[in-house]
Amino acid sequence: MARFLSAIPITRPVLIALIIGGLGGVLFMVFLLEFDRYSSTNAFCTTCHSMTYSAEEYQKSVHYNPVSGVRAECGHCHVSEGVFAATWDHIKGGKDLWKQLFGADFDDPVVSALHLPDAAFATRKWFKETGSATCQRCHVLEAIQGKRADTAAIHREETQGKSCIECHENLVHRHVPSEETFKREAWNRMVEEEFGLEPGAAERILAK
Amino acid sequence: MPSVPIGLRATIRIGAGFCFLSFTGPLLAAKVTLDPGHWGNPAGEECVNCHTKSSAGLAMEWRESAHAKAGVNCLDCHKADVADPDALKHEGHVIATIVSPKDCGRCHEVELREQQGSVHAEAYSLIKDRIPAMVDNLTGPAVQAAGCDQCHGSRVKVKGDGTLDPETWPNSGIGRINPDGSKGSCSSCHGRHLFSKAQAREPEACARCHSGPDSPDKEIFEASKHGMIYASQRHRMNLDSPQWVAGKDYTAAPTCATCHMGAAGKLPSTHDVGMRNAWALNSPVSQRQFLVLLEDGGKLEIPAGSPVPKRGEEIEKLDGTFTKVKSVVTPERRREAMTLVCLECHGKPFTQGFMKQFDNLVELFNTKFAEPARAIMDELYRGDYLTPLPFDEPIEFTYWELWHDEGARARHGASMASPNHAWWEGMYLVGRNFYGKFLPQVREEAGAEAQAIIDRHLTDEAGHGWLANPGQHNPILGYGQREGGDG
Repeated sequence: MARFLSAIPITRPVLIALIIGGLGGVLFMVFLLEFDRYSSTNAFCTTCHSMTYSAEEYQKSVHYNPVSGVRAECGHCHVSEGVFAATWDHIKGGKDLWKQLFGADFDDPVVSALHLPDAAFATRKWFKETGSATCQRCHVLEAIQGKRADTAAIHREETQGKSCIECHENLVHRHVPSEETFKREAWNRMVEEEFGLEPGAAERILAK
Repeated sequence: MPSVPIGLRATIRIGAGFCFLSFTGPLLAAKVTLDPGHWGNPAGEECVNCHTKSSAGLAMEWRESAHAKAGVNCLDCHKADVADPDALKHEGHVIATIVSPKDCGRCHEVELREQQGSVHAEAYSLIKDRIPAMVDNLTGPAVQAAGCDQCHGSRVKVKGDGTLDPETWPNSGIGRINPDGSKGSCSSCHGRHLFSKAQAREPEACARCHSGPDSPDKEIFEASKHGMIYASQRHRMNLDSPQWVAGKDYTAAPTCATCHMGAAGKLPSTHDVGMRNAWALNSPVSQRQFLVLLEDGGKLEIPAGSPVPKRGEEIEKLDGTFTKVKSVVTPERRREAMTLVCLECHGKPFTQGFMKQFDNLVELFNTKFAEPARAIMDELYRGDYLTPLPFDEPIEFTYWELWHDEGARARHGASMASPNHAWWEGMYLVGRNFYGKFLPQVREEAGAEAQAIIDRHLTDEAGHGWLANPGQHNPILGYGQREGGDG
């Protein structure tokens, strides 16, 4: 290594390159940190109109208005902790941006509602794969006491080999059934009824 | 009104066999004969662990139950198929919240067969035509969920997101239309999660619905000699006995279940609660009723007097579907079945006399009040004195209550031996409201034509001749009493 370094003559340009590179690296990391932080906020996520539908439900949930005052923002649950993992999640999330720009018209609340189950299934899968890591940013299994006497016992004795998502889903956003028992036709009829559309409209919208 | 003899041929027929009751199933409450391999799903143990903590009361009730002792656990009853409309994933298992009669019938086959098509199972269909008037107009949808449907059963709606619509659930109404299409709710009588036989044999099991102004069967039973003895001799009722045959396993008193469902002597038990009812008592005019047994396992009540369907004939059910007639049970045979219960404790002439008193009161209600009132209402509607819309004129409330409330109370009172309900709570009010409210309202609505309408339908033969003798006095209200009399 020393021989390799000594092989590089520390000339002025090299020194400048090192300084610029070093500074650039630091700036890049700061940029990533700031990018991840900002792009995890409610304000950023809801700049897409399609996301405001999810936000409406979230704002009615305990995660938005807990007694403790500790508000979980979009990214706290949906973006992993740590700059590299967070950046990777944001890169993966880029496909949603792509769909927003070039896919179906998710800003239309009907389109959004019709596609919601698929989003929910994908998100649940992600929570399972990550062992509900983002939940555990705030929730510590050993510290869960609950209001009822048995809540602590359940979390002590019934959680072997499970992560939060195994038992807790449909907490924040609109209720979506499990993928296994989901019935597309029933969901479509519900959305049609909700938006006053004639039967069959949902299938036509999804086929577009 | 066709006259039906009330002779006790039943007793004569005992020796001749019970072919006419063969559809009622075995003598005792059916024992589950399936191999125990059908239940005891090991995964169900997990449910118990968690639910002992999360819903301790529910789990404790189950622990005390015959189900728990036989090894039947949560998953055995609640397991569902992913294709079921109300299936949901819960802690890794596909289950359904609602355990329908069809689910219970996976083991309790005989009870399911008897219950399907019974007046209980059809309780939702029986009143669905009244909903527009009573709920949509008179009150509002909130009443249907909290009132009507809690007894008659709701049509449970599974929403597109897989949740049960709170407008229709929770509900344990006896004619509930379940997401799997089956009708009824076993837990209506067999409370969750103990499912106690003893509890369902008590009159209190019926009181949630069979009480109140229109069907005060709880109050009637309590006011009857049967109810009085039951209350004082409850310790002798042997309610926990696996076998519960009246006259054999207990003799102190009958409960609702004894007469309407229970085994008595050689009469088998049944989960078709209306099977032994010869009369339809909750109708504007009572009619004796045929029980039509259908090919698809369902049943239908047909009033005596209307054409009796023939075996093999195509027939429309209450829900609008069609099936074929398997056989027809006459009102006389239904009365004979009921009579067999009485005979375990009473003599023939006693039973015959009681039934005569009951039938006489129903006939009196019919001929003196129900039929004239119905005919007068018909004329008022046909003559445009009333709008076709129900309950927008005061007389419509009067007429409705005349048969639905006090009229039903009188008839039920006579059927179950409560003199107070037959008279003060029943026929007295029928008479008072007929003469004191209904007829004056007819005069208000029909004006100059009223007297002609009334005269057409109130006959001396039916017992209205007394109105023509205003001079006939009676000391009941003080007229003609002598000075210094003891009143």
